[in-house]
Amino acid sequence: MSSDGAATARTALREWILTKNRDLDQRQLADDTPLFAQRYLRSVHLPELILLVERLRGQPVDVSDLTAGHFRDIHTIVDLFITGTNDSEST
Amino acid sequence: MTSLREMAPDRLAELRRVGLSWRSSGQASLHGPLLRLAESLDRAFRLLATAGWDAEEERHPASLPAELLQRVHYLHSFPHQATFPVRLQPDEANLDEFRRGPVVDPDGHLVLTQLAPTRDVLTPAACHHLYAQHESSALDAPLYLTTRNTCFRNEPYYEPLRRQWSFTMREIVCLGSRSEAIGFLDRGRSTVDTLLKHLGLDVDWCVATDPFFRPLESPQYLMQRLEPTKHEAVYGGDLAIGSANLHHEHFGENYSISRAGEPAHSACLAFGIERWLFAVVDRYGVQPESWPDPASTMQQMVSATGGQWR
Repeated sequence: MSSDGAATARTALREWILTKNRDLDQRQLADDTPLFAQRYLRSVHLPELILLVERLRGQPVDVSDLTAGHFRDIHTIVDLFITGTNDSEST
Repeated sequence: MTSLREMAPDRLAELRRVGLSWRSSGQASLHGPLLRLAESLDRAFRLLATAGWDAEEERHPASLPAELLQRVHYLHSFPHQATFPVRLQPDEANLDEFRRGPVVDPDGHLVLTQLAPTRDVLTPAACHHLYAQHESSALDAPLYLTTRNTCFRNEPYYEPLRRQWSFTMREIVCLGSRSEAIGFLDRGRSTVDTLLKHLGLDVDWCVATDPFFRPLESPQYLMQRLEPTKHEAVYGGDLAIGSANLHHEHFGENYSISRAGEPAHSACLAFGIERWLFAVVDRYGVQPESWPDPASTMQQMVSATGGQWR
């Protein structure tokens, strides 16, 4: 995927996360902010997040492959699921 | 359908000699040396709870209301493990009809007549009672609790001391801030490691998930995969004898328990007493004289630190 595609995905993810955290100052949300560890996202958000990632990448996410850290932060999600530049998705 | 996984006959016979009676329902009765060891283990865990965190002991019934368990969607997550206590509809005509029938058929099945509405679930994990008990609490300090209960879980198979329909679970729970819950687990694991070392039991702490029904459809299961919150002390490569669990705000939110104005975080240390029995017997054999005394071991650990763990 092009760098434009990655940038679009980062923006879409960021905007979606902010809709779940109305009180969050967007300057606090960096690409490497731990989304679940910091409790900006919780399990209840996962189905919607997976649908968003599938829409952004244009193909399904195989949830049986999900493992620790895959949705850690925006940077990781884009690398693993959008641009595919991080090869740890298959681990 | 549940089945029994057979233990080697000589092993089962040895366990019988030291106090195990095994029922075809997947339940164990204990007496003699095994019961004394079980009680010593429980005293050790209670001492861990009181010396470590001044935890308050609570005692709760064998069942709890399904409505309370459903606050955390338990029956959607684990319907396959639930056991329900049923009662006959108490009108005399129904009771007479029950008495007139065979009551129990040749296969040992109850021949029930009309049942009263079922509202309860037999305790699936000891700590569930604690969150319900402290519903709507506003905590101005971390709350440490401990409890023991007989827990019931349907399983695909049963094996003496290793996997039972009913078993004994001791738990220590922290309700507090996020850092208090994490600190509790860190110290708890460290102390349990020390106890295990003194008892000569080797375990590996492994990341684990709870046994959700249709796990890939469960956000909670996927969450546990993505952000591990459950670690098990695994003996012999495949037997989890204890676990350390971080729940985040799961129970605090659903039972309206707050800490400093925010939903409380919680964490628990859980110990399966029968599995510890298996580990001790597996490690030391079936001569009770060779078994360690866990309560004395824990007492020595406390004394060695001057009783100042907190």
